[in-house]
Amino acid sequence: MVPLRKILHRACFIISRTVYMTCCCGCCSALRPRYKRLVDNIFPASPQDGLVKSNMEKLTFYSLSSPEKLDRIGEYLFQKASRDIYRRRHGFVIIAMEAMDQLLVACHSQTLNLFVESFLKMVQKLLESTDPQLQILATQSFVRFANIEEDTPSYHRRYDFFVSKFSAMCHSNHIDKSTGDKIRLAGIQGLQGVIRKTVSDDLVENIWEAQHMDKIVPSLLYNMQSAEKYETVSCMDSAVGAEAPARLAEACLRELVGRASFGHIRSVLRPVLTHFDRHELWIPNEFAVHTFKIIMFSVQAQYSYSVVEALMQHLDGAGPGAGDARARTRLRAARATVLSNIVAIAAGDSVGPSVLEIINNLLTNLRASVARDSEKESDEKLYQEALINALGEFADHLPDFQKIDIMMFIVNKVPSAPRGKGTRADSMLQSILLKSLLKVGTTYRTAELSKAFPAAFLEALLRVGSGAEPAARALLQRILHTLLDRRANAPRLTRPTLEYAELGLTVEKCSRQDLIFISKHGYALFGSLYDGLQLESNTMENIEAIYTTVALICIELGSEETVGDMLQLVLAIQQSGISNPVLSVAQQCQLQGVAISLAVLVPHVCTVPRLAEYLNKIIEARREEAPHMLPPLMESYDDLTSSKLPAKLPYLMMDQMALCECVKASGLDTARLAAPSPYSAGSVAAPHRHSWLEAGAAQGRDSLADITAGPPTELDSANSSPGVTRAACGSESAHLEAWRRAAGGPSEAERRDLQRRRATLNSAFRTAPFDHLKHITAPKYEIQDKLEEIFNSITEEPLLPMSGSCSPAGQKSYQQNVPPYTKYFPELFLY
Amino acid sequence: MEDYKFLFKVVLVGNAGVGKTCLVRRFTQGLFPPGQGATIGVDFMIKTVEVDGEKVKLQIWDTAGQERFRSITQSYYRSAHALILVYDISCQPTFDCLPDWLREIEEYANNKVLRILVGNKTDREDREIPRHIGEDFAQRHGMYFLETSAKEAENVERLFMEIAVELMEQAKCKELPKYDGSLGPINGKTTSVGDSSCCLRS
Ligand SMILES: Nc1nc2c(ncn2[C@@H]2O[C@H](COP(=O)(O)OP(=O)(O)OP(=O)(O)O)[C@@H](O)[C@H]2O)c(=O)[nH]1
Ligand SMILES: [Mg+2]
Repeated sequence: MVPLRKILHRACFIISRTVYMTCCCGCCSALRPRYKRLVDNIFPASPQDGLVKSNMEKLTFYSLSSPEKLDRIGEYLFQKASRDIYRRRHGFVIIAMEAMDQLLVACHSQTLNLFVESFLKMVQKLLESTDPQLQILATQSFVRFANIEEDTPSYHRRYDFFVSKFSAMCHSNHIDKSTGDKIRLAGIQGLQGVIRKTVSDDLVENIWEAQHMDKIVPSLLYNMQSAEKYETVSCMDSAVGAEAPARLAEACLRELVGRASFGHIRSVLRPVLTHFDRHELWIPNEFAVHTFKIIMFSVQAQYSYSVVEALMQHLDGAGPGAGDARARTRLRAARATVLSNIVAIAAGDSVGPSVLEIINNLLTNLRASVARDSEKESDEKLYQEALINALGEFADHLPDFQKIDIMMFIVNKVPSAPRGKGTRADSMLQSILLKSLLKVGTTYRTAELSKAFPAAFLEALLRVGSGAEPAARALLQRILHTLLDRRANAPRLTRPTLEYAELGLTVEKCSRQDLIFISKHGYALFGSLYDGLQLESNTMENIEAIYTTVALICIELGSEETVGDMLQLVLAIQQSGISNPVLSVAQQCQLQGVAISLAVLVPHVCTVPRLAEYLNKIIEARREEAPHMLPPLMESYDDLTSSKLPAKLPYLMMDQMALCECVKASGLDTARLAAPSPYSAGSVAAPHRHSWLEAGAAQGRDSLADITAGPPTELDSANSSPGVTRAACGSESAHLEAWRRAAGGPSEAERRDLQRRRATLNSAFRTAPFDHLKHITAPKYEIQDKLEEIFNSITEEPLLPMSGSCSPAGQKSYQQNVPPYTKYFPELFLY
Repeated sequence: MEDYKFLFKVVLVGNAGVGKTCLVRRFTQGLFPPGQGATIGVDFMIKTVEVDGEKVKLQIWDTAGQERFRSITQSYYRSAHALILVYDISCQPTFDCLPDWLREIEEYANNKVLRILVGNKTDREDREIPRHIGEDFAQRHGMYFLETSAKEAENVERLFMEIAVELMEQAKCKELPKYDGSLGPINGKTTSVGDSSCCLRS
């Protein structure tokens, strides 16, 4: 259709031309057609007098009443102006242009097409002149034209020349600075006009084509970069300062980016990236940050991910001086810094798949960097830092539930080579990923521990922690700190101490959810921490970091129910400090210091007055005889005689029976404290345990506190069978019901029902024989998830019953623990 | 007056300082500008010449030689009918870069584009590139060759005139590649002559 229209139009054009040519052969003024006389009359005798207004009105009236003459009027005006330009009579040229402007505005839109041809030829003619004044005038006319909405698209019209010329003007290097600025401004305005004219209709001229974008974008950037300082605002007040080329160029770029649809974003970004490479604007990166922020602020929100993606893909792109490896690395680091500056803006608008894609891409770049890393290459380190920062920035602006997903994702990428067997690159990658994890972790605000540590995540963390080098292990502990520490106590607990009263710790009663959490995961956590203390390779930093973790658990999860477990861990640590043969003397002493410090923390968290007294006595005695068994820890204990070794001082040890007595005096249950230790001394010697969770189950000690599962009927939850559609709760299987609940929260009856169930549950813990509990807790995950789900359902009602999921059961149960909106991000769970 | 019969786009490329701008200004304005500053981005000039009694309008795009403007200048290659590749006969490095330029032209320009190699500044005493070396290079790469001096106005007129002649011949044989947008009514390859001289304003 289009070509046909084109041909038709051309044909009409030629016909009208022919008619016109035949009728204009007569040259005597008397015989001249009326329109020519009308046109001639608008010109004054002297150009200074300006357009003859009254005659212009006549011409306008004539062209409105005989629109078929518009074509010829335009052509005639153009020819007159061409002649005047040739003779350098610029005053008349200006008048001709003014007349054309007025006619253009007066024209009815249906007849506009007839006139536009000559109008644009006129504009082009003026733009071709070397006179800045004419160029600027032409641009103004063009802009006026660009703002007119035409209702008949002209497919044959091309803006190629205008884009080329306006872009050239944007670079004006006129000797006179102010004239140069005016030409540049005109160039930018012209480009803005072309964009406005063409952007809405690709058939007219596809402005997004590379041949145009490669001119427009660098022209705008070149003007923006010439600003004295870069002020980045999210939204521009277009009225202010638009007379400066830099400001106007920025406004124009915003408009262009804002109009770009998904397929066009890349067309804009490619020349942007090339421009930054060519003009070496990455280092320093002030302008790059400015520009990319502007792009992020003006791009349609749903596409902001594309910008991040493009920049990420460009991290490795060649730039100037690409041959030099160091320069390349620096360039990469600078680009990554820009990335970290804009990624937060994208975070707010990113959805499921793109979130993980960004994370994955950052991790891939980190991995590539590690592979390149030549140990002492500090630029590479800077690059890694920048990437990690980008990761942190990005995560910081995501909702908390996504942060956990991201941490899960990262932790699963950490290589876990058996201790000592991994390559150097592996361990570097490990530590870098842990740093990233820490970065993301610090942006997470833990509310409920069960949310911060979904079972799979916790297990992955502990797995990584058990197979790493000392530095990485310390990092892992820091991750645990940041996730555990809800009350900002961690900074006060960096080293073992006995004077907790002076620290100003914030201690609050532990919630029911937290208790369930510790009941589920306590053994895994404690077991892993205990193991962590048994390693020959531990530095003091490792030991102190584990101390901090245990102390935080004690504070965050301290309750009557957990006192026994805490103390049992303390005893186990104390014992290992005597009996683990791989530990050095210093490590032995350090463990004694850790054990007593943790013991002292217990009465600080729960009221166990007798315990405090007992511990005080031991501390006093140690002060006298063995200060090396008290905090603070030291790097070395060189001058220790063999008689002062912890193993030689059994009477300075905390005694299991005595501790039991103290606890019993406060009316707490001591059954498990009195039981044999579940911790195996020197696990280094023992075969490595794959999972603490499994190990716990194997030992029949799956639960630390006296809370486990409900009555057997609770066990048969459908979520233990993979792939089965499971209604979020038995009573809400019907959609209608679910909607009502979503609207009004749980009904009174359901709330009562829940309460009742909870009560049965609790009594089951207390009364059920141990074997029974052991039996019913056998399929651990499901039980825990069921439990968690029950409690979660009090606070969070799924909007709709979960739809049938085809993911494996393990992932499914995880899915059910998270808020319902995560179901929009199924991809998040496939990793 | 819009009475030209043909419109051709000519783009000048080559290292910074070889004298592209001086060549253009010598041709369009008839002068050798003292202290000509480096071109920023792209410059534009126009000149109408007569070939066999027919008017030919040359749109001349003078690009910056500086590396940093390479991306914008490349975007002008595409619609060019003729590309003038300039080096400085008194500056070996500008000659050594020619293969790089050819690669760029190969990548960004139309493959039928008319290519002319120009060794500029023949007025200088300190020639480094003998004429035949330039000639050889041009021949090997299927280019026209000319040595010029913008300063002494040597061969400058001839350079552009030969381009106009050559392009016109091509156009007449309908060999002229049809570029998008280059031949639309706006850009005016129009055969209409219009009333040229008789209707002067009184
Ligand atoms: N002797 C002599 N000097 C010339 C000639 N042509 C140009 N020059 C000088 O060479 C220098 C650069 O000339 P330009 O025309 O600015 O060079 P250009 O190729 O346009 O440079 P860019 O715009 O940076 O790409 C100026 O100092 C000119 O005076 C010439 O024919 N002879
Ligand atoms: Mg120049």
